[in-house]
Amino acid sequence: MRDIFFDLSVRSVKLNFLRSILASIGIVIGVVAISSMGMLGANMQLSVKQQLSSDVNTIMISSDVVRTTSTAGTPTTSQGIDKSTLNDITTAAGLNQVIPIHNTRTQFTIGSTDGRGSIYGLDPNDITKFLTIAQGENIKGGSDALVGANIATNFNMNIGSRIKIGQDNVSITRPTVRVAGILAARGFASDGVNTDNAIIVPDTWYTDHFGNKDLYDQVNVIMQNIDTINQTEAAIGDKVNRRTDIVRISDASSRLSSISSTLGTITTFILAIGSISLVVAAVSIFNVMMMSVNERIQEIGILLSIGTEKGEVRRMFLYEAFILGVIGALVGGICSLIIGYSVVSAMIGNTAYFFLPASIIYVPYGMIIGVVVCILSGLYPAWHASNMDPIDALRNE
Amino acid sequence: MTGTPLIRLADVSKVYHLESGDFTALNHVTLDIAENEFVAIMGPSGSGKSTMMNQLGILDVPTSGNLFIDGKDVAKMTPLERTHMRRDVIGYIFQKFYLIPLLSAYENVEYPLILKYKKRDTTGKAAAVLKSVGFDEQMSSHRPNQLSGGQQQRVAIARALVNDPKILLCDEPTGNLDRKTGFQIMDILCGLHKEGKTVILVTHDPKIAEYAHRTIELEDGRVVES
Ligand SMILES: Nc1ncnc2c1ncn2[C@@H]1O[C@H](COP(=O)(O)OP(=O)(O)OP(=O)(O)O)[C@@H](O)[C@H]1O
Ligand SMILES: [Mg+2]
Repeated sequence: MRDIFFDLSVRSVKLNFLRSILASIGIVIGVVAISSMGMLGANMQLSVKQQLSSDVNTIMISSDVVRTTSTAGTPTTSQGIDKSTLNDITTAAGLNQVIPIHNTRTQFTIGSTDGRGSIYGLDPNDITKFLTIAQGENIKGGSDALVGANIATNFNMNIGSRIKIGQDNVSITRPTVRVAGILAARGFASDGVNTDNAIIVPDTWYTDHFGNKDLYDQVNVIMQNIDTINQTEAAIGDKVNRRTDIVRISDASSRLSSISSTLGTITTFILAIGSISLVVAAVSIFNVMMMSVNERIQEIGILLSIGTEKGEVRRMFLYEAFILGVIGALVGGICSLIIGYSVVSAMIGNTAYFFLPASIIYVPYGMIIGVVVCILSGLYPAWHASNMDPIDALRNE
Repeated sequence: MTGTPLIRLADVSKVYHLESGDFTALNHVTLDIAENEFVAIMGPSGSGKSTMMNQLGILDVPTSGNLFIDGKDVAKMTPLERTHMRRDVIGYIFQKFYLIPLLSAYENVEYPLILKYKKRDTTGKAAAVLKSVGFDEQMSSHRPNQLSGGQQQRVAIARALVNDPKILLCDEPTGNLDRKTGFQIMDILCGLHKEGKTVILVTHDPKIAEYAHRTIELEDGRVVES
């Protein structure tokens, strides 16, 4: 059998149905604000993380460490990562993909337009391991090239376009590459391979024209499992930088965590804005609860005079606040799903993460917060009711 | 009898502190009421009858003096003990019935049982008591505002009785009823007295007071005749 105080609360809510529903609308709005703001933030974080983590699983190894020679005492900068260091890295990297990279800046000419940009020399087999070809196909060798998304647009390049590499000089014929494919835009790549304004050529073509065979500007290690990135970095460090620092080892995870924490701050901020609506809701619930108490003074007097404990009177009013909260939270929860989904798809343009626990959890969060806010708003009115003087209360008409 | 009587007022005063000065509503009242007495309290309006009933019903605590109910000093009880005594030892019947508007007639009678046992009544006691005061069973699901005054007062009496209190406090129980209904209610109270209840009744009506075996006259907060 149900608690009689719960029944009394239900009947009181029913008796003042319109008023109760209006007060609950505040809670509905509060719950919707909290949930959809939270979901918006969560979806933003999830989608940004997804975009970033595609290349944060990469360890970047470069050789721009200043070495001090023991004899002369003059610092010299190493020229690159040599073959034996690369072998050490490959050994230390275990099963993870090791990608040696040649890179320099160069001038080039397309048709009659001159430009400047990066040129990367890569083993054609490595390219698809971390780069996406948007148009055309991968290079196989020879004098094929891939071009970045920006360069392709800016210079109006198509598959089959020819690019003359090197400084324009009347006396020599510059080597020419043929565009075999165009890469997808990468933005600011956190693995250090910024291809948007670059030309990518086969490593053989690169060393034929720029020299430096078996001397690499950067080596990337693509992790199969990002969780072991620190161990692998340590292993490479132990192997390569045994006596002195030969290479610098870094990864983008710290950048990822700083971006996530920024997004976290933004999420908290928009949640805080959502919470303001709950404050408004709390005031309206408080108001309705005070009205309910003040309308029922004589009834409270009756309850107290025939032996109802103060705690029981409090319980009755807290139930009432709870019922308002639950109604508001249920309606709010349903609305949050609809509104949250629309907001996420409108503002992020991607609802792939919407139903993930990290996102959808904000619906029950919002609902619980809504109910808790209601109960908190009911505390004072309930306390006020239970502390009335029964004789005074009875006399109240 | 060697012990204290069921109710003992020893030099009880009730003073209201008003802006216009102190007002003494009960003035050094000393009075014993034994178990199973039927007492009428009479007196002009404002003489302190209701104030005295409120002390006996421990809705209020005397400003000075000692009030013992069922052997216990009311002043020394905790608020919760007073609440429990109101629930278990005292049945209060009011002139204005004071039924709980959101509960049906039956639930109003069941309510004190729920207070005492913390669960809904499954023993049929509420229904039995309601029947014993002559309440029409078919009306038991009606809300108080759907009942006549006499019906409401029957429900109120049943509510006061359901926890088997020793004391029935009735503050002008017939005051809002016509004469005929009033006498019907008095017959119920008489029957309860015969069953062993201690009945204390406030009334303005000498005819009603005749039902009692002892009459206490109050005037300006003093007992003038007992
Ligand atoms: N809470 C209060 N504050 C101030 N004065 C009060 C209070 N309650 C009662 N009084 C005063 O105490 C006096 C006695 O009141 P009480 O209600 O006991 O009278 P009564 O004998 O029951 O009168 P009636 O026959 O009209 O019901 C009255 O003068 C009343 O004004
Ligand atoms: Mg009175």
